[in-house]
Amino acid sequence: MRKGQLAVLQGKLIITAEGQVLEAFMHACVKQGCTLSNIKYLSDKKVQMAVLLQDWPKIRKLRKHYRCKIKIISKKGAPFFYKRLISRKAFVTALIIGFMAAFLLANTLWSIKITGLDPELEAEVESKLRTYGIQPGSTTFSMKPPREVQRLLLEDIPELLWVGVKKQGTSYQLYGVEQTNYDEAEEPRPSNIVASKKGLITKMFISKGRPLVEVNDVVKKGTLLATGELKEDSGKFIESEGEVIAETWYRVEIDRPKEQNWGLTDGESSQSFSLVFADVSIPIWGFWRKNENNVRKESYDHRFKLFGWEFPVQLKQTTTFTNENKLQSLSEEESIKDTLRTAKQSLLLQLEENAKITEEKILHESEDRGKVKLILLVKVEENIAETKYVSQGD
Amino acid sequence: MSKWQNQLRNWVSQYFDLPADVMLDLPRITTIGSLHAYVENCTGLLHFSDQEVRIQYRRGELSIKGKDLRIKMMLKEELLLEGELQSIDFKELKEGGVE
Repeated sequence: MRKGQLAVLQGKLIITAEGQVLEAFMHACVKQGCTLSNIKYLSDKKVQMAVLLQDWPKIRKLRKHYRCKIKIISKKGAPFFYKRLISRKAFVTALIIGFMAAFLLANTLWSIKITGLDPELEAEVESKLRTYGIQPGSTTFSMKPPREVQRLLLEDIPELLWVGVKKQGTSYQLYGVEQTNYDEAEEPRPSNIVASKKGLITKMFISKGRPLVEVNDVVKKGTLLATGELKEDSGKFIESEGEVIAETWYRVEIDRPKEQNWGLTDGESSQSFSLVFADVSIPIWGFWRKNENNVRKESYDHRFKLFGWEFPVQLKQTTTFTNENKLQSLSEEESIKDTLRTAKQSLLLQLEENAKITEEKILHESEDRGKVKLILLVKVEENIAETKYVSQGD
Repeated sequence: MSKWQNQLRNWVSQYFDLPADVMLDLPRITTIGSLHAYVENCTGLLHFSDQEVRIQYRRGELSIKGKDLRIKMMLKEELLLEGELQSIDFKELKEGGVE
């Protein structure tokens, strides 16, 4: 690169030189390492030229030796501009403070508007928002994105059916829809209790109604367990209620690969920041950290706004978690144990909440192409009572 | 520079096909039409006006004539001339004549 191309940054002087031995003077300057440019002929003993500010001391020294008169016509470039700015310190400070204030104010939350909710719920939403750090007067830099706020609100306030969260400039606008619970009609309906599954009854408690079976009876699906008809053949039914715990049996077939690939995150993470202009991303912090291949990255874009105008620059925050892939090869015993556990868990997921596994037995066990296949018999204790309404009248 | 040294250099540059400007300390002048002249390997500026620029090189002197001549850039051994060039004349000095 030529030296002169950075003249704007280095500072440039435009001078006129006058003297008897101008050529010799110019040549001496050049020999000292100065760069002369734009040399114009003015008159027989006078030229105009541009020199770099950094060469100025050398030129001044040589000037005496060659008896040249040098006049500075103009000064250009960053150093002079900077000097002028420094001399107007107050102005610059005011400018910076003003800009910062505008930026800060524009990124401050000024109001929260909640519509569509009754006052109680509104207050609750407000207090929840406060716990998320969203309240008038706080800055928006650290705030969670609206989508996240929406999710949190719906999670934390069960009475909300839906909430729309919108950030508009310096205000948050929330539109909520309340969940309306219709109370079920408390009309007693005549009903019986029947078995929902085949099983051996181990425990029963009928709070309303007349039991028809006893403990240790084996019942089939659909068997009448208790009836709401208190007197036999009276035709008058009440609503029967009760719990019948029975032992039920399940046959479970499951297969699991013996080798398992686990992705483990050990909690170590590093953050890096970069500025993003349109498609170009310029790393500014944390980019020097070398990441191994095996990492998981999460990134979030911070956007800045000023008077509704979005900065073309975004701050991208990337969190890198080290990931460790582990190929877990289990021994036969372990893999059976593991498979058993999985089988029990997946069975329990399908059953009702209070179901309990009391016993399991491996009926068959085989291994095929690296997979362990098990057929199990599982004994479960669960409530098999099912309310069946009786149509009454005619 | 003695004569035999000069001849040796001449011979070397021809025999090994080396660029003459490097071996013989001659100026290399690149012109773009009559707009620019880029002179390398010069050792001094002898005269400068908007009509004529005289440049010294190790073995002589070079005179560029034209109109509205300006030196766009001047470095230790380089010179970029701008303007309307008309002629380039060489005046080689006899051995031992210069410096």
